[in-house]
Amino acid sequence: MLESILKRASVGNVTVALPAGDLPSPFRGMPEVGEAFRTGGAAATCAKACATDAIDPEKRTIDLGRCVFCGLCEEACGGEGIRFSQNPRLPWGKRENLVLGGSDVSLAPASADLRSLLGRSLHLREVSAGGCNGCDLEAQALGNPIFDLQRFGIDFVASPRHADGLLVTGPVSKNMREALVKTYEAIAEPRIVIAIGACAASGGIFRGSYAVEDGVGNVLPVDLFIPGCPPHPLTLLYAILGFLGRSPEKIPRG
Amino acid sequence: MRCVHTFDLGNSAPLAEEAFRAFLRETSTGADRLLTLFAEEPSPGRFLLHAVAGGAAPGRFLYACVETSPRSFRTFTDVCPGTHWFEREIYDLFGLMPEGHPELNPLRFHEAWPKKFFPLRSTDAPAPDPRRGYRFLVVRGEGIHEVAVGPVHAGIIEPGHFRFSCAGETIQNLEIRLGYQHKGIESLFPGGPEMGKILLSESISGDTAVGHSTACVRLLEAITAKPADPSAERWRAVALEIERISNHCGDLGGLSTDIGYLFGAAHFGRLRGAALNLLLRITGNRFGRGLNRIGGIGPRVPGIAPEDLMAELGRLRAEMKDVGTTLLDAPSVGVRMEGTGRLLPHTAKTLQFVGLTARASGRDVDARRDFPSPAYVDSPPVNVLLDAGDVMARARVRFLEMRASFDWLSGILAGAMPPGTIAAEGVVPAAGRRLVVSVEEGWRGEIVHAAVVDGEKRITRYKVVDPSFRNWPALSFAVQKNVISDFPVCNKSFNLSYSGTDL
Ligand code: SF4
Repeated sequence: MLESILKRASVGNVTVALPAGDLPSPFRGMPEVGEAFRTGGAAATCAKACATDAIDPEKRTIDLGRCVFCGLCEEACGGEGIRFSQNPRLPWGKRENLVLGGSDVSLAPASADLRSLLGRSLHLREVSAGGCNGCDLEAQALGNPIFDLQRFGIDFVASPRHADGLLVTGPVSKNMREALVKTYEAIAEPRIVIAIGACAASGGIFRGSYAVEDGVGNVLPVDLFIPGCPPHPLTLLYAILGFLGRSPEKIPRG
Repeated sequence: MRCVHTFDLGNSAPLAEEAFRAFLRETSTGADRLLTLFAEEPSPGRFLLHAVAGGAAPGRFLYACVETSPRSFRTFTDVCPGTHWFEREIYDLFGLMPEGHPELNPLRFHEAWPKKFFPLRSTDAPAPDPRRGYRFLVVRGEGIHEVAVGPVHAGIIEPGHFRFSCAGETIQNLEIRLGYQHKGIESLFPGGPEMGKILLSESISGDTAVGHSTACVRLLEAITAKPADPSAERWRAVALEIERISNHCGDLGGLSTDIGYLFGAAHFGRLRGAALNLLLRITGNRFGRGLNRIGGIGPRVPGIAPEDLMAELGRLRAEMKDVGTTLLDAPSVGVRMEGTGRLLPHTAKTLQFVGLTARASGRDVDARRDFPSPAYVDSPPVNVLLDAGDVMARARVRFLEMRASFDWLSGILAGAMPPGTIAAEGVVPAAGRRLVVSVEEGWRGEIVHAAVVDGEKRITRYKVVDPSFRNWPALSFAVQKNVISDFPVCNKSFNLSYSGTDL
């Protein structure tokens, strides 16, 4: 007992303050697109290196809903076309908000109604639907003392009956489709759906397999997509707070 | 290389059924263990079963194969119970019926799938009894009741269905139904030995991205004859040990949560995060994605100097020791974990369980010693072996393995950087059809990847075995006669991957 109290006292407060700034190198966060990608030959080089077809060399776009942040495009073009910054703040919102370099689509926070209803207290039921468990682990990490999601009035609950929405990971395996839909239907309206990670946005690395639905959007109406493979817990925090119309700049450390 | 082996299939004619059966029986009773068993359709309508075993001496791999009828084969579970789940999978993917199998329930497909859907079979299945329905074992007797849990569980975890048959509070039988995470990953591997396959392997089980991608990359390097240099191999092993530490630490936190010991939960949760952040410093990702490239490691790996990494590891080690000792010495913790969820050594041996599950039940298997990669050849981390087989033993194995990993890491990071030349024991690519097998000890246990490759270096069949696939039945045995309220802590003490099993 005494040891645990002493330990508690010696460790102090470990919760990260927001905004948290850049992560250490060689973290692959928000990609920066160079001139060689926008107009030169780098777009084709990068597209060729990409195993998830995230890059459209004609339109010169990068779909972060498909990207697994492997960094192979950056290596192929020597960083001329695409270079990964260490910034964990990634675009979020509707599916088209995740496409970099496309026509500018403004970010899509929750409606004012939803924000006044859920903005200060949001309870989510998590459903893992065919992913690799990486996204589940990062969603779980949101509850640890470092990221401490509860300080924002957001929490994960055990029953869909207690939830305001779903947080879904994975491409939606055919074997999970029914359980996912039933969990969604068990949540009282209004309800929101958050799809996190490349799999949940597009099927990710599993896109096209006989056993998956290629993303949550093919099964449920999704309100918020968050890219990453898996998204860093900070990426998740920024996106969820942004969606709720809350500025991370104004949030105390806890 | 002792962790990878290539078999020339041109020289290995299929065995007679009895000889193949004897090969599998030997893995059950002898010193070599079964590593993988899978089906392949080398040409339309022709079916082979491939089995790989080994481990009696470092780097020892044995191979056998048998041709089956397109309809069925006689089950091997009577001579080798460890083939139980392998045969269920063979039926699901190929429609080859294991005649006489004790419990042929589907592992991969649920009721909604067409009855004759066998994704890796090109020819129409003449299977006599194509079925998808799942038959749960029914326990009868006075007062027996059933509790069904999942697929969606209360916490943030993967889906699976558990059905308990209980007498009062006591579990008489637990049936585990999986398949919810099935994403057809093996069907995505055939083709050229390209980087996309490494990315796939990183997503077999997200918590084991280093283990799986390292097994996969060595296999692709054997196909393409591009071995990594000793320095790259060293960083692979360093990342693998940090992956082990982070997961063992996370599991000790999870066990603490499940017995209501919040001190352990909070501190191990935090320390696990610190270990993940070290993987990020090395590879750019908290789970070690981006570590491997065919022929080496990523150009920005490691992002941290060995001295700095050593200093960080030293701090982490001291903290984990404090918290772990406090946890494991607390009488209130002992009361909850000792004697709970006991897996008998006999069961672990008979069913050929692997990894930390096996090592907590007296079964001495560790791929780092038995199939050592270059960085482990001279001195693998100290082997940990306990035999109580209960939740406490699995907790202690984790704690002691973390310590062994820290010791090993400080040795290797302090040692001179291995020269950056290609290892002498390079890989000689055979021409023609061959089978390449790659083994690595992930944090849960041994990971086995196997690929059948044609003369053009193209993968025609890829088989993944995650240790979870081997160990799931252990949970059913461990919870028998325990009270149902101890199920969460029993389950956590194994912490098996659903994704790695369902593939
Ligand atoms: S980082 Fe993203 S865009 Fe670049 S190659 Fe990998 S998946 Fe494609």
